[in-house]
Parts: sequence; C-alpha cells; structure tokens
Amino acid sequence: MSTSVAPSALPVVPDEDEEITGRSLRQIVWSRLRRDKTAMVCLVILILLYLIAIFAPFITSMLGVDPYSFDGESISDSGGGPIGAWGGISSEHPLGVEWGTGRDILAQLLYGLRISLLIATTATILTTFLGTTLGIISGYAGGKTDAIIGRTMDLILAFPFLLIILALSGVLTQRLTQLGVPDGNPSRILYLIIVLSIFGWPYLARIVRGQVLSVREREFVEAAVAMGAGRPRILFKEILPNLWAPILVYATLTLPTYIGTEAALSFLGIGVLPPDTSFGGMLGNSVSYFSVVPSYLFIPGTVLVILVVTFNLVGDAVRDALDPRAGRV
Amino acid sequence: MSAYVVRRVISMILLLLLLTFVVFILFSLLPTDPARLTCGKSCTPEIIEANRHRLGLDLPVLQQYWEYLKGIFVGRVYAQDSPDPVVCSAPCLGYSFKRGEEVFILIKEGFPATFWLALGAFVMWLAAGISVGVYAALHRGKWQDKTVMGISLAGYSLPSFFLGLMAIFFIVIRLQLLPYPSYISPFENPTQFLQTMILPWIVLAILYAAFYMRLTRNQMLEVLGEDYIRTARAKGLPERIVIRKHALRAGLTPIVTAAGLDLAGLLGGAIITESIFSLPGIGSLAVNSVNDADLPLIVGITLVTATFIIVANLIVDLLYAVIDPRVRLA
Amino acid sequence: MGMANKGLRLAAVGAVTALALAACGGGSSSSSDSSASGGAGSGEPTKGGTIYYLTNAEQFDQIDPQRIYTGEDLAFFNGTIYRTLTAYKFSADAAEGTSLVPDLATDTGTVADGGKTWSFTLVDGATFQDGAPITCADVAYGVSRTFATDVITGGPTYAISMLDIPTAEDGSSAYKGPYTGEGQELFDKAVTCSADGKTVTFHLNKPVPDFNYTTTLLSFSPVPKAADTGEKYGDAPVASGPYLIESNKNGKGGKMVLARNPKWDPASDTYRGAFPDNWEVDYGIDPKVIDQRTMTSSGNDSFAINNGIEPEQLAVVFKSPTEANPEYNGRAISTLDPYVRYFAINTQKVPNLKIRQAIAVALDREALRKNAGGDFSGDYADGVIKPNMGQDFAPTGMWDTLLGQKIPDTGDPEYAKKLIAESGEAAPTITFDYPQSPTADKAAAIVVDSLGKAGITAKPNPIEPGQYYGVVFDPEKAHELINAGWGPDWPNASTIIPELFTPTGGFNLSQYDNPEYNKAVDAAKVELDRAKQAKMWQDLNTQAMADVVVVPTRFGREQRMAGKQVGPIYLWPAYGSWPYGQMYAGQ
Repeated sequence: MSTSVAPSALPVVPDEDEEITGRSLRQIVWSRLRRDKTAMVCLVILILLYLIAIFAPFITSMLGVDPYSFDGESISDSGGGPIGAWGGISSEHPLGVEWGTGRDILAQLLYGLRISLLIATTATILTTFLGTTLGIISGYAGGKTDAIIGRTMDLILAFPFLLIILALSGVLTQRLTQLGVPDGNPSRILYLIIVLSIFGWPYLARIVRGQVLSVREREFVEAAVAMGAGRPRILFKEILPNLWAPILVYATLTLPTYIGTEAALSFLGIGVLPPDTSFGGMLGNSVSYFSVVPSYLFIPGTVLVILVVTFNLVGDAVRDALDPRAGRV
Repeated sequence: MSAYVVRRVISMILLLLLLTFVVFILFSLLPTDPARLTCGKSCTPEIIEANRHRLGLDLPVLQQYWEYLKGIFVGRVYAQDSPDPVVCSAPCLGYSFKRGEEVFILIKEGFPATFWLALGAFVMWLAAGISVGVYAALHRGKWQDKTVMGISLAGYSLPSFFLGLMAIFFIVIRLQLLPYPSYISPFENPTQFLQTMILPWIVLAILYAAFYMRLTRNQMLEVLGEDYIRTARAKGLPERIVIRKHALRAGLTPIVTAAGLDLAGLLGGAIITESIFSLPGIGSLAVNSVNDADLPLIVGITLVTATFIIVANLIVDLLYAVIDPRVRLA
Repeated sequence: MGMANKGLRLAAVGAVTALALAACGGGSSSSSDSSASGGAGSGEPTKGGTIYYLTNAEQFDQIDPQRIYTGEDLAFFNGTIYRTLTAYKFSADAAEGTSLVPDLATDTGTVADGGKTWSFTLVDGATFQDGAPITCADVAYGVSRTFATDVITGGPTYAISMLDIPTAEDGSSAYKGPYTGEGQELFDKAVTCSADGKTVTFHLNKPVPDFNYTTTLLSFSPVPKAADTGEKYGDAPVASGPYLIESNKNGKGGKMVLARNPKWDPASDTYRGAFPDNWEVDYGIDPKVIDQRTMTSSGNDSFAINNGIEPEQLAVVFKSPTEANPEYNGRAISTLDPYVRYFAINTQKVPNLKIRQAIAVALDREALRKNAGGDFSGDYADGVIKPNMGQDFAPTGMWDTLLGQKIPDTGDPEYAKKLIAESGEAAPTITFDYPQSPTADKAAAIVVDSLGKAGITAKPNPIEPGQYYGVVFDPEKAHELINAGWGPDWPNASTIIPELFTPTGGFNLSQYDNPEYNKAVDAAKVELDRAKQAKMWQDLNTQAMADVVVVPTRFGREQRMAGKQVGPIYLWPAYGSWPYGQMYAGQ
C-alpha cells in the first residue's frame, strides 16, 4: 500500500534550478511520476477503467451479458431470490443476478462504472474551472469583488450540502428539463454534476486565491503591469501558469471524492433512473438482501473502493511529484 | 482584539440572515404544494385554499420570510383568524403540519442521538488521528510511516455507507457480537447505548481519523523542521517535552480548525451513518423530511445545521489566538 | 408491496376466499394450529401481560378517531381505545369475519324510510375514560367533526356525502363543522337524538342499504365536546374502549403505551376480549430487526407482533406461499390481503382504447410479480374486485377474452404492436409514476423494458413516497401510467367501483368519466336487492376492464408474524389486520 517509495528516494531539487537547466516543470513532474511504481500501476489501472467504461456496451455484448434484460429463469418464483449460491453465480452470469429481476450483476457494474466516471470526471472539470476562475478573480481583483466572492463561498460552505442536494433534486431536475435538457437521466446526471460543482468550487477557489495573492506581488507580474499588459493577459498568461500545480493536485484528489459522493447520493435514492443503475444504487438495493446474499454488498462495494483507492494513489503521487517537499519529504 | 470579535460576530449575524433568506427562497420554489399535502384523498380546491391560508402560504414570499424571522424571536401563531389557531412558541423555526409538531421541538428531540454520535466519534478520531499522526511523523520514511499512510489512504477511500454496511454484516449478522443497533439514551440503559453506538462511532472515526493522521503528520514534520525546535533540542530538553510542549502545540492550529468545523458539521446530523444504524438523530430526521416533502422541517434543519457551522467557524477563528502563540490578532 | 400499504388511506374489508382458506388450512392461520408450534397451549387466553407491536413507522399517521383511515390503524384503535356503533366480528372466516355485530349500539341498527333513516340505540353503562356516560350528543359531535374539513383532514368523508345536509354553491357542504358552527342547524336536523339521549338517528340524502357498515369507521365514534382540542385532539384523545393512552413518544426509539381504562365496564362491552394489561407500540424499528426479533422470539419478543416480513426472509419462514416452515408454524401468516394492485391508465391522456389495450397486453406481469416476491406477493388479478369480496366478485376474463385474444402473463409484444397499428396513432411515449423504493425502481425497469418491446417508450418517474398521492391526484402532474393499489372500505364493491371509476370518486386516478358508466354506477349504489347489486358490480368491473381503465396486476398477498406466546394468529378479514380486540399474551 505504501505510496512514498520513489519520492523519498529522490534528491530534493528546488524548482528554480530545474528551470535553469531548461526542463519544463511538466517534464520534471512526469519523470518523477514515472519513477513511482505504485503510481504507474494505478495510472494504468485507471486508463483501463476508463476504457472499460467507454466500451462497456461492447464488452458486455462480447461476454454475452446485458444490464437490462430480465432473466426470469434465474430467479425463484417464491420470493424472487436468485437460484444458486452467491447470488446465482453461473457461467451465464459470472457475478450473479439481481434479486427479483434476474438482471446480470456484471453488466450492471460495467454500466454503473460508466455513469460514475462520467459524473465524477465532468463535475471535477467543472469544479476546477469554476474554482480556478473565481479564485483568480477574487485574488487579483480584491476589494468588493473579493468580498462578494468570499461571502458567497462562506455561504456555500455553511450549507449542509447532502441535505440540500437531496431536497432540491426533484425541483431542479425538473427545471433542467424545462430548459430543454432531455427528460430523465440526462437531466438527473446534469443536476448531480452541477450541484457537486457548486458545492465543490469554494475549496479550490480558496487555495487559488491564496496563491494569486502571493504570486501577484512577484517581480514578473509587476513587470508585466509596468509594460502595460491588459488585465486578462496578466490574469491568464502571467498568473495562471504559476497555479497549475495546486490546481492539478486538487483536481486529482477531488475526483475520487466525487465518486464517493455520487455513490452516497444514489444510495440515498437520487441517482440515475431505472432501468439504469449505479454503484450507489446497487449498494442501496443490497441492504434488503445482504443477510441472505452477501455478494450484493461486496461486489459493487469492492469495485467502488478499488476505484477510489486507485484515484487517491495517483493523486498522492501527483502531489509528491509536483512538490516533493510538501507532506512526504 | 475585542473590536475584531465584534466585527466577526456582526459578519456572522449578517451571514446567518443571508443564509435564512437564501434557504427560504430556494425552498419556496419547490413545486410540491405544502397545502395540497395537508389534505387527504377527498380534497377540493376550497380545502386546499383554506389550508394555504392556515399555513400562511397565501402571503407574498417576502412577507412569509419576515413572519418566519419574527417567529424565531417572538413565536408565531398560525391560522390566527380561525377558531382553532396553532401556536408555535419562540424560538419558532416553523411548524410541521405533517407531523403536527413544532420544528424546533422535532430537532431538539433528534439532537441527543446526533450529539452522542458526534461526540464519541470526535473523541475517538482525534485520539487516534493525532497519536498515530505524531507516531508516523517521528518515524518518517520508515515502514511505520508507510504503513500508517497506507491505512490512512484506505480509510478515506472507503465510502461511509459501505463501511457501515460491512460492519453490520460482519459484526451483527455473521459473528453476532452485537445486537442490531437500537438507540436508547445513555441515562436509560448505558449498556444498550454503548452496544448501539460503538459501531457508528468506529465507522465515523475511521473516516475522519484517516484525514487527521495525515494532517497531524504533515504539521509535525513542518514544525519539527523549525529553528525553535532545534533550539529546544539543543538546550537538551527531553524529546517528550519537545514534542508535546513545543511541536504539537504549534502544529495544532490547523488541526483545531478542521476538528471544530468537522464537529460542527456532524452536530447537524450524519445523514448516511444515522440512516444505516437507525439512529433517531437530526440526519435521519432530515432524510425523512425530504421523503415526506415536509418543507418547514427541511428549512428548519438546514438553518440549524448551517448555524452550527457558521458559529463553529467563528469559535475556531477566535481560538487561534489562544492556541497558537504566533498568531496575533487585531 | 410498499405503496399500497403505505399510501392508501382506507379501511379494507374482504372475505378470505377458497384460495386463502387453503392457506389457513395449510397451517398458517387458525388458532388451533398454534398448539403445533409448541409454545402455546390451547386453553383459555390469559388475562394480563403486554403485547409488543413492532413497527418501522415512526408514528401513527393519525390518532384522532375522525382522521384515522388506514385499515391496520382502524383495527388497532377500534380494538383498544375507541368504540364504534357497529363493528366486525372477530373471526378468521371469510363471511363471519366481515359480518356486523353491535358495539356501542344495542343492535346493528334499525332502518326506516326505505334506507334513508338509520337509528342506533346506545348500550347502558358505556362511559368515557373520565367516567362520563357516552350519550347520543357525543356520537353526533364526533360525526360533526368530519365536516370541519380544514381541521379534520385525512379521514373518511362518508358523513359529508351521505347525510341529508344541503350543499353550498361551490359543491361543499353547507355545514362547516363544529368549530365555526356555520350551518349547525342543518347538521342538527340530519343527526337527531332521542329525548333520553340514548338513541341517535341519521337522516340520509338517499337510501344507503349498507349504512351500518359505514358506522364501523372510527369517524362515527363518540367524542366529548368539552375535550375537543381541534387539530391537536389526537395528542390527548378521550378513550371509550378498554384501554387509554398512557404515553406516546413518536420517532425512532419512541413508543406508545396503552394501559387499562379503569372506567371501562366489561358488562357494557361484549365485543372486546381486553386480555393483555398493556399494549406497547415500538416505533421506528428497522424491518430487518423486526424480522430477526420476531423470528427468534426470546424474552419479551415472544409477545411481539409485526405487520410485514422482508422479502429475503420469506423463503426462510415459509415453505410455500400457503405454508409456514415447521419452526414458524402456527405463528406466521401468509394470506390474501384486502388490496388489489394495479396500474391506472390516465384516460384523459390516453383516450385511444387500442393504445390502452396495447399497454395492458405488452406489460410483463409475470416479471412484475417475480420482482414483488413471486407467488408470495399475490395472485394474478383480472379486475379491481378481489375473490375475497365474496358475492361481488366474478372473473372478468380480462386476460382470456376481453382484449381480443388470450394474453400470456409475460405479455404479448407482437399483439400489442398490432393493436397500436390498428389504433391509427403512432406508438406512444408515456411516463410511469410510482412511489420510489428499491423494489419499485426494479418494477419500473420491467415496465420500461416490456412496453419497449412493443414499441412503446416508457419513462420512469419516481416520486418521493410521502408526496406520492399529493402528486398523482393533481391532474396537472399525473402522467399516463400510475402505480396504485386499493382495498374496499367494507365488503361491498360500492367502496371500490365508484371510488375508482367515477369523477366523484375519491381515487379516480384514471380520470375516467364515462356518462353511461356513471349512470350505471349510480343505479347500482342505490340498489336495495344485494344479490342484484352484486351482479351489477360484477358487470361494471368487467366493463371497466374491457375499457382498460386500469391494468390489474395482482390480488395482493401478505405475510406477517407473531412471537411464540401471542394469539390468536389469523388475518382478520375485516381490515386485513391482526384481530387486535381479541388478542392475548399467553394462554
């Protein structure tokens, strides 16, 4: 499980010296990452998971399973439970079938992975965009703008977000539909992406704002101002490039959090609509049955944990590579 | 210092006002008509209209907001002009017609379970998090450190509901070490209370301790590199004292901040943990209120929870000065 | 399950059919079987002890007698704290268990004026918990509360529709209840008391041959005017039965405790057994825990009763839908409940009969039933009148002939496609409204899938269970296909057909409004010859199925269990509930 094999073996080299030798920060980070075996393994797993998610329909049809079709033969007509041990595991259904419908668990998992990654990835991108933009504006503009953004952040951070997301899901999903987003899952998924981002950006914005405050006093920014560069240019050409390290670290660590939150929300019942399912939904369903069929709990739970752990390991490794002095030494 | 306190308190009150307003507006947009929900299957438009009037929902939204604010301080009477008015005494956070009870009382009834859950978990995770974190820092780079970091990673990668369900599956169903959780007040039956709370405490503590281990470790590493620690060591002070008196105290600030905010967040109800372990706390109440579209209750819980967080923020800021000698206010 | 039990606000009555009787014979429900379970003997029921009622609910929907309207709650409160003029006999038998006996009245009522006037004489010695004798004025006052529709919400409104009180211009009653007193003189003319205060007479606006069934509802139970606190009356109601509410704390971990009512005179009440000293309702217990505790039945749990078994335990407790496993024999019940589960088709949004037929034909009812628990969840339904309704039931032939050809339980997508082609319309896109739960989500997936095979696009619309009926009763918000369930208020289809299929009915989710049909319903309602009336209900049931106003899916079956020491063990056909008034803790 250890994650700090490579960084601790690395000599600590300050950024400035590296730049003098002509290697870009990106190259440095990449070379450090490549030496971190755990990180590389995880990165490969992640890429594989994304590929599996993207090609899920293709993979399931190759395996001869499908998340939507009902298999009445595989469940009992007395009680609706799966026939056979471990949730009806058989050559036809490698991970068993769902209670009451006989739908294939493996296929559901693969499609659930798709939805989970779609929501978490998109929400992370949106969060990063919002957090960065608002953080830069807040830090650079100062004064009233800073105060307004600051108060908004305080307000958002004070909300019990899980409760708000649950309570508003019905009405806001409907609003999205009225705005022309297709009814059903597109609206629901978009709702989750939006609310996760809205409640997520202030954390990043705070970090970015702090960085901007320190960067804008540096000579090169002052030089740009003196040379009469426009505000957008200063913001995005001069300041932004100095921020991407904390942003990247934040983004890689946010993604797994969102995977967990999305699962928790579907567990509480506001996930995708049937016939689609997600990890959280599968775990939610398992509650009624796991004393009899434990695999309903352990199969999706294990996949979920693997997903989150892998992302976290990569996130840690990225942080180490970007700033080997912080945290790990 | 006192000017700073006054300024912070005023801005907190403003933030609370803003928050009540936003919550109120947000929920007044909901499509579910609370008046419709008060009326059974034989419902006529007249009944709905009459109920809307009783609930004060026929007023303009801003006036409703004003009535609500006023109610918090002086109480409120619904359906004043009817022969059967409903009295909601101050602090009136609204009246749940669905449950036939004042929102404040419902929240007050849910508070003990949430309080005990939060308190027990808080003690466990701080104790575990800080001690293990310091241990890891003192063994940095060695196998102990790596093991701790590995455990911490696993800890915060486990979704709380999966951890909770696994605990129930193994401890309660399979090994039958504990009975099914069934909350009871510690003053009524301490044994059953402990049997019920131990699993939720552990589950929450694992989730939070993971973060505190890392935080403590990193803080310690940073502080241990500082000059005054070297000085203290050079003076020949025992290592124990260096760690406890100097390093830990200086490194405590962010830990206290995080702990205060986390505790405040938990006092507003741990939705998932409470639902999984059937604890009758504010979190369960929140989920039920959403399921029943019990609007006054949702608004009330949101406000109370948010208030905890905002007040905790203030307290934590003020505590900075006390704990960290380097921080000077004003 | 779930929705019908949770959402329906109605009393349910039915007679156990031959089918369900087989269930009883199979070893689940007659009290003599309990001797086989080893725990209980077959002697006289013990007086004393406590019965523990374990429930997942965090409170009773209502405790106010005029507002209670769920079958289980009516049975519970009627058996313990509230007396009514008439009541149903305690019996597991189909016919007997739904037959009337007097309770607060000396007989089951005297009818005059061709069914338009009903009188009941009160028994001697009946008192409230404070010792005050129960008089005609108390009964009349209780009934009058129903008219305060802004305060007394959620209860049955038969008093409003049946009593001879003129209506105001807007269609509501001219009497506005006792709190405003508006129109009080109209009410006082419709409900009159004899000079000695012993006899109450109801004057109805049209003949109601089965009015004495209506008076079994708690909305006809007495309330002392002086103690009425309006909306909050349920917090401290006045008991007339053998028990009173000693304490009540809602929520998880909370409980209601009933203790003996010292003023209750057994001589005035031959109806109730009043065996245990106390009743304790334990709220908010996880259903899995309830199962585990009743199955283990140790300590106080041997005096526990529950009202539902989780699906995963069904195969543990029962050998088959009609027979318990030996370990639980004599204390577990699996029998037909009073409810019919169906999908209402919104006839305003789906006016084309062929399309409605196509929906019915395409649905995979077998998959739906398996998802609900297979044969444990009930038998395939062919209408909204269940076989345990006795004479009102006749097979409609819905799946054999009504739809043009025989339809298999798994649905017939090809034939559905053909029907759509004949409809002259494109294959429709419809939305399926249902109260959300994990099981209902899977049922929705089945609906989407099976309709999809016939080319019909179905969209699931999960609704928070607590808001469900609030949404689907709103014509603006209800969609094309609506999940529902219904059980009758007493054993006459007059509490089914008019409620479900006429515009004045309280549960017309299909928004069905067919003038000819309405006329036939009105005629059946006032038909005094019960046999003739039964035939009329049978025909109306068949007609509604032919017009595919609803797609009936199951005649529901339900399972419940008690601890080893509790009896008697049977499902009381009157309410599809435990026979609370007759239960005991040990023999």
